[in-house]
Amino acid sequence: MSGQGLEFRKQVFRGVVLLLFLLLAGELFWMTVPRNRYYRGLALENRQVSFRVRAPRGRIFDRRGVLLADNTFIADITLSARDYGAGRCDSTVGRICGWLGLDEAAAGDRLDAQLARGAGRLTLVGNADIGQVVLVEERRRELPGVRVETRPRRRYLQGPLFSHLIGYVGQIRDEELADEDAHADYRSGDMIGRQGIERAFEASLRGHCGVKLEEVNAAGHRVGRSAVWLEEVIPGRDITLTLDDQLQQAMADAIGTDVACGVALSCLTGEILAAYSNPTFDPNLLTVPISQADWKRLSEDPDKPFFNRILQATYPPASLYKPIVSLAALKAHVVGRDTELEPCLGGWQLGNRYFRCWKSAGHGRIDHVGALVHSCDTYYYQLGLKLNLDTLAQAARSFGLGSVRAGIFSEEVPGLVPDRSWYDQHFGAGRWSRGVLLNNAIGQGELLVTPLQMAIVAGRLAVGNDLPTPTFVAGQQRVDPLPPLDFAPADLAWVRDVLRQVVVRGTGQQAALPDVAVAGKTGTAQNPHGEDHAWFMCFAPAEAPEVAVAVIVENAGHGGSEAAPVARRWLEAYFHGGARNAALQPVVAAGRDSS
Amino acid sequence: MRLREFLVPDGDRWLLACWLLLCLSSLAVLWSVTEPIRGPYLALDPGVVKSIFYRQVLWVIVGMGALLTAARIRLRTLENLSVPAMLSLLALLALLLVLGSQISGSRRWFLVGPIRMQPAEFAKISFILAVAHILARNPEQRPQPMLVVGTLGLMLVHVFLVMREPDLGTSLVFLAVWIGMVFWYGVPGILLLGAGSAALSAVIMFISESVLSRQSWPWGIYLLLVIGVLYLVPISIPARIFMLLVNVGSGLGIPFLWAKLRGYQQERILTFFDPMRDKFGSGYQAIQSKVAIGSGGVFGTHYLQGTQKGLAFLPERHTDFIFSVVGEELGLVGCLFLLTLFLVIIMRGITVAAAARRPFWRYAAVGIVSYFTFHVFVNVSITTGLLPVTGLPLPGLSYGGSNMITSSFLLGVLLNISSRTFDT
Repeated sequence: MSGQGLEFRKQVFRGVVLLLFLLLAGELFWMTVPRNRYYRGLALENRQVSFRVRAPRGRIFDRRGVLLADNTFIADITLSARDYGAGRCDSTVGRICGWLGLDEAAAGDRLDAQLARGAGRLTLVGNADIGQVVLVEERRRELPGVRVETRPRRRYLQGPLFSHLIGYVGQIRDEELADEDAHADYRSGDMIGRQGIERAFEASLRGHCGVKLEEVNAAGHRVGRSAVWLEEVIPGRDITLTLDDQLQQAMADAIGTDVACGVALSCLTGEILAAYSNPTFDPNLLTVPISQADWKRLSEDPDKPFFNRILQATYPPASLYKPIVSLAALKAHVVGRDTELEPCLGGWQLGNRYFRCWKSAGHGRIDHVGALVHSCDTYYYQLGLKLNLDTLAQAARSFGLGSVRAGIFSEEVPGLVPDRSWYDQHFGAGRWSRGVLLNNAIGQGELLVTPLQMAIVAGRLAVGNDLPTPTFVAGQQRVDPLPPLDFAPADLAWVRDVLRQVVVRGTGQQAALPDVAVAGKTGTAQNPHGEDHAWFMCFAPAEAPEVAVAVIVENAGHGGSEAAPVARRWLEAYFHGGARNAALQPVVAAGRDSS
Repeated sequence: MRLREFLVPDGDRWLLACWLLLCLSSLAVLWSVTEPIRGPYLALDPGVVKSIFYRQVLWVIVGMGALLTAARIRLRTLENLSVPAMLSLLALLALLLVLGSQISGSRRWFLVGPIRMQPAEFAKISFILAVAHILARNPEQRPQPMLVVGTLGLMLVHVFLVMREPDLGTSLVFLAVWIGMVFWYGVPGILLLGAGSAALSAVIMFISESVLSRQSWPWGIYLLLVIGVLYLVPISIPARIFMLLVNVGSGLGIPFLWAKLRGYQQERILTFFDPMRDKFGSGYQAIQSKVAIGSGGVFGTHYLQGTQKGLAFLPERHTDFIFSVVGEELGLVGCLFLLTLFLVIIMRGITVAAAARRPFWRYAAVGIVSYFTFHVFVNVSITTGLLPVTGLPLPGLSYGGSNMITSSFLLGVLLNISSRTFDT
């Protein structure tokens, strides 16, 4: 036996073993004491997942608290991005696609795209139907990282009735998400207001998403019930419209199937009571990805259902402009209230151009009152020649024409009230003739107005400066107040009286009601593309106006015969239906905290 | 009195006590590991069911039987059986490559009814005993190089067959055990030192070149250190030259070998050394294990409370990574307790190996000690991230019948030898 060598080797062996164990002990100490916090953080990161919880969108009510828009739920089948990114969901995706009959390759592409965007949960099936949800829920235990997640879906209870004003919401698009400044708070799958009130009040309707922390196991399934809220959900604020569900329905009924638009407002409060544009669309179709067939039908309809005629459509005011021309002329003292000008022989010759009156036989001898009652163009050609463009434009603008009147809608257009500098700019200085003055005097030419603006003109003719600034939403004033009218009260009273005569014995007789005195004005806007547009504006009762209405029926012909009956039908519903009392009082906001 | 004699084997009481404590610890930890996963679970990882715990109770009892058998059997009988046993197991290992049941990509098991038998585990016993038998043939003279070369061949056959399964961890056990045994036999230290430093040089060069992306200064520093040590240590000139050549050669050879590998092979080796390269793939186990131990702290999250374990983030938590569960739930204290038990077994084993009267006993004892040292060091190093992940159980702790029987049997042999060393 080599005792000496063995003893040496024994010491070496022991030394090596001790060294190895010291190394292990040292590493264990290093990990558990100085690095303990770091590893605890990693363990926490493993099991805690933060979830974003969408806020319920604010509801929308009509002036009497009728619910117009609320939220239901929609179910999405989603995957954990962490598991999918790790390639641990491939068989899961395959199985789900197999059960639901989906194309696995296409689903994979969609998921990859979402993963690339950095989404926390990836949507495999959006807006799943109840059958799909049940199928996945039943097998949830075999599906790592899969969840059925619900998100609110917007529901418009009145369907197409308010669609142009309320607008609609749609899923946010990828290119919008890419704009992080504008949509920092949005994630894939979120809804965003697309039109109307939904878009105008997006920030307050939307509320604020909450964030909560949940404990999950390695399969990504939630463990236990408790969750820690890092940020509370702040629900969106409710909005109350000044519109009335019944009066809106009455406007829709009055218009029927015509391509038309009607706006009615309260002369007492300035609140818009009804504003309806036909044809319309069902906004519920647009809150989820719309079907090809529906989209084709709506987008290719020549009558343009998505076109908001209340705010977006502009027409020449035509004869509806004549009361404004009369007031401008009276203010300028170029005529009196009963001044007779040259007789109407069916038109007026200016230079080498003949300007026709709508009545080709002519009105004969006619005074100021008669010219307004019978809407004699020849008389107004002469008035126009006595005035100048800037005076006319100033009068029109003081009624609120030529600028946006609702203010809250991004789709609203201002129309156009041309003055001399406008013509100089667009036609060239000295390149335009006095003929434009004649066209302006009968509300034609370059003049453009919206139906909303004409309803406001009717309201201001009815009550003058007493008309409050028109509003669509309770407690919301975002538009400049109307400019003050600067006309003699006696002149305004005279116009009101003449407008009453229009309905009694003039062109607006079809707007007459047996028990309420209606005052109004007809108009027939020349349309180079087809049949004339029929205009009518009115207010009632004439002696103490409550409501003012403007109606345009496209390609219908004469205002007196086509637009006036629409207004009359609505006024009937207003005065004889049940909504009148509520319409007399200012609207009170309903629902959740609208402060 | 008869019963007590039957149940308590003769031999070193420290060895027995530490081994029993390890087996009991194993059951305690497995009870925690087999608690149900919290929250809905799935087929992604079948989880560890309670029946695993009861099976391990059975394996501990079977292991005790093996221990008692090995402690009582005549050592002469063991020695005589060693070579035939080794040859049969080699045959089994060869057969396994053809007939074995493939489980998660490797052929390591024979299915015998409900039991999975892992021949490589039992081959460790026969290898240790057979090598001890061969080395013991000519003990009185100076060490015979031919014997060393012969056992080297045996070792390489074992390593080759097990590596083909593939099971890198287990195949390296044979290497480690052989090194321990020939060292005890008396191979010139310079050879072992040369081999060890050559391996170190290669690893440092690899890390310098590939992991640190072409910064070779760590290898340069290592080489300067080697030269310094060679200058200071009083050994012969040829020995110095041998050491220098071996270190320089293995270091410079690495970049050549590396360049010959294909991209995906390089990637796999890089992940082997740096798990963070593939967080969700092959690096996942290593990371989760470190997180478990590190988050446990000094006293752990307390028994049954671990989240890495309880929420199933830690893979293989009942087998190769059971030490990580100890670290998470019982903390540094629990880890050091277990390491101390192993250290006592190893240190007592070295004493036995040095004191045993017969050469076969000495070499068998040191082989057994090398076995435990390698298993414990490599397994714990893997769980703490010191070494790359390869499958290797922690003796006495990890779930599994084959290793429990093997380890218990080897400990029984050690007890047997000790009883003949100290008392009689």
